[in-house]
Amino acid sequence: MNPETKKVEFSEKAQKEIREILTHYPDKRSAMLPVLNLAQAEFGHISEDVMVMIADLLDLTPPKVYEVLTFYTLLNEKPVGKYLIQLCRTLSCALAGSENILGHLKQRLGIGIGETTPDGLFTLKTVECLASCGTAPAMQVNGAFYENLTRGKVDKILDDLKRGAQPVLKPMGEN
Amino acid sequence: MSESVQIKTETVKLTIDGREVVVPKGTLVIEAARALSIEIPFFCYHQKLKSDGNCRMCLVSIEKMPKLQVSCSLPVSEGMVVQTNTSVVADARKGVLDFLLANHPLDCPICDEGGRCPLQNYSQKYTAYGQFKEEKRIYPKDYFSPLIEKEMNRCIQCMRCVRYCDEVIDSQALSSVNRGFHVEIGHYAEKQLDCEFCGGCVQICPVGALLNRLPLYEYRPWMLTQTETTCAYCADGCSLRLESRPQTREVIEVTSFWGNETKSVWGSGRNEGDLCAKGTFGYEFVNSPHRLTKPLVRKGGRKDGPLVETSWEEALETAADGFRRIKTQHGGAAFGALASARCTNESLYVFQKFVRLILGSPNLDSSVRYGAVNAARAMTELTGTPRWLTSYEEITRADLVFVIGTDITQTNPIAGLKVKAAAKRGAKLIVATPLRRRISTLSNIVNRATRHLAHAPGAERAIAIGLVKAVLEEGRLAERVASHRSTQRLRDAVAAITPKQIERATGLPYEEIKAAAGEWASASRAVIVFGESVIRAKDGYETVRILGDLALSTGKLIADGCGLAPLMEENNEMGAYEMGVVPDRLPGVGRLDDESDRDRISRAWKEPIPAGPGLTMMEMLKAARDGKIKALYLMGENPVGSLPASAGAAEAVEATEFVVCQDLFLTETGMKADVVLPAASFAEQNGTFTNQEGHVQAVRKAFDPVQGTRPDWEILSEIALEMGYPLEYEDGAEISHEIARLWPGWRELPKRSEQEEAVARYLNEELAEGVSERYRLDRKTDHSVAPNHRFRLVLGPVLFHSGKMSLKADGLMKVMGRPFLYMAPEDAERLGVTEGRLVRLRSAYGPVQRSVDVEVKMDAKYPPGLVFFPESFNEPPVKDLLTVELAPVSGVPVFKTTEVLIEKA
Ligand code: SF4
Ligand code: SF4
Ligand code: SF4
Ligand code: FES
Ligand code: FES
Repeated sequence: MNPETKKVEFSEKAQKEIREILTHYPDKRSAMLPVLNLAQAEFGHISEDVMVMIADLLDLTPPKVYEVLTFYTLLNEKPVGKYLIQLCRTLSCALAGSENILGHLKQRLGIGIGETTPDGLFTLKTVECLASCGTAPAMQVNGAFYENLTRGKVDKILDDLKRGAQPVLKPMGEN
Repeated sequence: MSESVQIKTETVKLTIDGREVVVPKGTLVIEAARALSIEIPFFCYHQKLKSDGNCRMCLVSIEKMPKLQVSCSLPVSEGMVVQTNTSVVADARKGVLDFLLANHPLDCPICDEGGRCPLQNYSQKYTAYGQFKEEKRIYPKDYFSPLIEKEMNRCIQCMRCVRYCDEVIDSQALSSVNRGFHVEIGHYAEKQLDCEFCGGCVQICPVGALLNRLPLYEYRPWMLTQTETTCAYCADGCSLRLESRPQTREVIEVTSFWGNETKSVWGSGRNEGDLCAKGTFGYEFVNSPHRLTKPLVRKGGRKDGPLVETSWEEALETAADGFRRIKTQHGGAAFGALASARCTNESLYVFQKFVRLILGSPNLDSSVRYGAVNAARAMTELTGTPRWLTSYEEITRADLVFVIGTDITQTNPIAGLKVKAAAKRGAKLIVATPLRRRISTLSNIVNRATRHLAHAPGAERAIAIGLVKAVLEEGRLAERVASHRSTQRLRDAVAAITPKQIERATGLPYEEIKAAAGEWASASRAVIVFGESVIRAKDGYETVRILGDLALSTGKLIADGCGLAPLMEENNEMGAYEMGVVPDRLPGVGRLDDESDRDRISRAWKEPIPAGPGLTMMEMLKAARDGKIKALYLMGENPVGSLPASAGAAEAVEATEFVVCQDLFLTETGMKADVVLPAASFAEQNGTFTNQEGHVQAVRKAFDPVQGTRPDWEILSEIALEMGYPLEYEDGAEISHEIARLWPGWRELPKRSEQEEAVARYLNEELAEGVSERYRLDRKTDHSVAPNHRFRLVLGPVLFHSGKMSLKADGLMKVMGRPFLYMAPEDAERLGVTEGRLVRLRSAYGPVQRSVDVEVKMDAKYPPGLVFFPESFNEPPVKDLLTVELAPVSGVPVFKTTEVLIEKA
C-alpha cells in the first residue's frame, strides 16, 4: 500500500473481510464492488481518501475506482442524509409523471438534486430505472420502494419519516 | 514451453458488397472491408483498441442474420455475405447520428477538430442534422489540465480515450464518470488531470471533446501544413507529424494521427502512432522567442568584451580567421570539438569531416560520451554492430523481457509501451531496479513485473554477474558455449565470486537471482532491455559486456526473437556514434586505429585523416585548462551547462583562446564563446536521425530556417569555404548520399546471419579477455541505508524533460516547471518534512562543500534511503553536489549518484 495514503483505515474486522473477499477472485480488480459495499457500510459514504485507499488495495489508480463509484447510484460519494431518496426518471416513470414528483420533492424539501436538507434528514437523488416500471412513478428511500407515487403520497411519506415513524405506506408494492 | 512456431494462419473467404475477399480467421468485418478499401463508418472502434461495440455506427447487413450487425466486433466467417451500403444500413447510420446530434452542440465553426472530425464528415455524408428539439445536455465548463482541454458537450461517449489510456498507455488516468446520459470523461473526484500527458487521448478522440490546449482556437486544421518527421527528443525514434504554419515558420501542434485516419502515420512508425508528452507537447522550443536569430561576436575580439549582435558575414569571417590563426600557430592538435547527438546524421557527418580534414584535429567527441558510448562500444564488440539485433516488435512478442537499469516510462516511454505490451500478452517480465511497486497515473514498469529484483542502488553489475554465475553453475549453458574453451575462463571468474558477495552487493538473496536466471535460461524469445542506470554508471561498459555474456552463454545473443536492447537517451546518439563523432571511430563504425578503415575513408575524402588517438570530451576539457587546446568548436553541445561545476568545464572554456559555439539558444557555454552562431532546428531542415534500434529515419523540413538561423551543416560548409576549403553541399540529401556511398549498408538493419561471424569472434577471442576485470565486485560500495540523515542521491531523466531543450518548451514547463527532490514518504516523515517543504542537501563527502535547498515531493516508488532529482534542471544546483568520476575504459564522465546529507531547511 502507498505509505502516502494512511489517512483512513478499515477496521480490523473489515480488513479481515477484505482479505477474504480478495481470495475469491483471480484478478483483484474484480473485488471492486464487494469492497466498495463494505467501505460504504464502514464509512457511510466513500470519500476521496477511502477511494484512494481502495485503489491501492486493488492495484488500481483512483480513476478506475471513481468510474465504478459514480456508475452505481447505490454508492455515495458524499455523506448523505438519514434518508436517501432516489427517484427514478427513466422512461416509464417519466411518462407516469416523475418530473412532477421531482418538482414536488424539491419544493417540499427545499433542496436540489444531489443536495441534503440542512437538518441532515433527507438527500435527494435521481436515478435510472429501478425495475419497478409497472408501478411507475417509483422511488426508493434507503432501499425501501414506494410506488405509484402521487404528490399526496409523497407528502405522507415525508411527514412520516420526519416524525421518525415508519411510513404508513408499505414499501414493495403492498399498497 | 515454446509456443509452436508454425501456426498455420487459417483464412476465411467472404463477400462484401459483391466482392470476394480472403482474410485471416478472426478478422473483424470492419477490417475485412478495409482490406477491400470499403470504408465502414465508426466511432468507438479503433485499430489500436479492443472492440467495444458501443456506438453502433458501424452497422452492416449480413445475409441470414435477422438484424443489422455491429461490424467492429463481429469476426468474419466462411461464406459470409455482407452489405455495407443498402438503404436500410444508411438509415440506421443516420439514426445513430441523429441521436448523437441530439446532444452534440453544432459548434463546428469554433471547434479545433472541425474539418477533420468524423462526426462532421459522417453527418454530412448521411445528411443527419439533429432533428430532435429537446434541450441538449450541457456540462458545466471546468478546467481540466494545463495541456488537455475538455469540452464534454461534444463528447459522443465512445470511450476511445479511456480505453486508450488503459490499454495502450497503462496510465489509467481517465474515467467515465456517472452513467447513461450523464456520462462524462474525467480524472477522479473533480480533480485536474494528472497523468503521463502523452496526448494520446486527444488524438484518439474522434471529435473535439478532448483538445490540445496549447494551440486552442488558434487554427483551422485545413490551414496547417503537415510534415511527417522524426521526434527530436529521445532515441525511441517516434514518427510524428508537425502541423505548421510555414508562412510564419511556426509549429502549431504535433499529431501522429487524427480522428478516424487509417493511413498516414497511423499504424506506422516505430511508435505505431503513440507518442509521449515530449513528442506531443514539447514542440514549442522551435517557436521560442529565446531562439538565437543573429550571430554574436565578442566586441573588439577581446575575451572580456561583451557579446554583440553582428551579421553572418562578419561572424563567419571571425570564426574562419580565428581557426586559421590557431591552425597556423599551433597545428590541428590544438583544436577540440564537441557535437550534440541531437543534430542530424548529415550535420554530424559534416562536423567530423570538418574537424578531421579542415581543422586537422583528431580531438572530437559528442554527447554520446555521457554514457551511450558504453553501450555502443560494448555492443560493437559483442555483435559487430552498435545496433540492436532485436527490435521493438520482438520485445512485444517476447516470452520474457528482462528490464534492468531503467525507469523506462520516464526514460524511453515508447520502448516502455512495447515492454508493457509484452507483459499484457502474458510474457514474463523480470525487472531489476531499486524502485518499488507503486500504482499511479504515471505508469511504473515494476507494477507489471512478474519478478522484481529489488536490488540496492548501483548494483546493476552485481545483478548481472549473479545471473551469469547462476546460469553457468546451474548448467544452463547453450551447447555451443558450454563446450567452448573460453567458457572455462568465465567459470573461473564467476567461481571466484561467492553467493555471499553477490548477496552483499545486491541486497538480494542469491536464490532469487538464481530463480531469475532459471527463467531467463528457459525462455525461448527473450530480450534484455537496459538503460541509463547501467550505461551511465562508472562500470557501464563492463555491465553491458556482462549482460552480453549472459545472453551469449544462454544462446540468446543473436537467436531469433532474442537479443540485447540498450536504451539511449538523445534522439541521435546512435547516429553520432555511427557517424564517427567520437575520437576512435570513423563514419560507418570504422576504427580510427585500423589502417584499412582509415585508408578507405581518406581515399574517399581525398585527404589524409589525422591519426589518433584523439581526446575524449573530458580529456579535451582538461587539455583546454592546461592550455594545450587553443580552440574549441561546439555544435549544439553545452558542457558548461551539462556537467557539474566540479568538472571544470567553465574553466576550460574560459581558458581557451578561441571558442565557437553554434546552437538554437544562447547556452551557458555560448555565453563564454567568442563567436555564437544561430542554428536551425530539426523542423527546419532535411536529414536523418538513427534511433536506438538502428533505424535511419527521415527528418523533414516543415519550413525554412527561422529568420537568421542556418542548419548546422550549412554553417560548417560556410566556415570551411571562408577558410579556403570547399566542403559544399546542395542540401541535406546530398550529404545523405555521400554517407551512403561511404557506407552502403547505412540504411539497412543488421541481419543476424551477417553478425554471426562477429559473435563467433567474440566467443573465440574477446569473451575470455579481461574476464577477471569484468567479473569483479566493487568492494567499497556500501548500500545499506545509512542512519544520520545520509541518503543516496540519484540524478536521472524524467518523462517531461530531456536535456535542456525541453526547458524551452512552454507546454512541458506547464507540467513540470520546476524540479523536486523525490523521496519515499517514510523518509519525509523521518526528516519531519511534508510535501512542498524545503530540505537542505549537502554532499556527504568529498571536496564539494556547498549546500542546496530543494523542494520535496513524496513518491512511494522511491525506496527509503534513495532520493531522486531530475537532471535537466540546473537550478537549484543539486548537480553541483556531485564530483565527476571518469569511467576507466570509455572516459565517460559519471555524475549520476552520490551520498548526501539531508536535513529540514
Ligand atoms: S496518460 Fe493522460 S494524456 Fe495520455 S491518454 Fe491517459 S489521460 Fe490522455
Ligand atoms: S472524450 Fe472523445 S474519445 Fe472520449 S468518450 Fe468522449 S468522444 Fe469518445
Ligand atoms: S521523446 Fe522519445 S518517446 Fe517521446 S515522442 Fe519523442 S521519440 Fe517518442
Ligand atoms: S422507468 Fe422508473 S422504474 Fe423503470
Ligand atoms: S464502431 Fe462499431 S459499435 Fe462503435
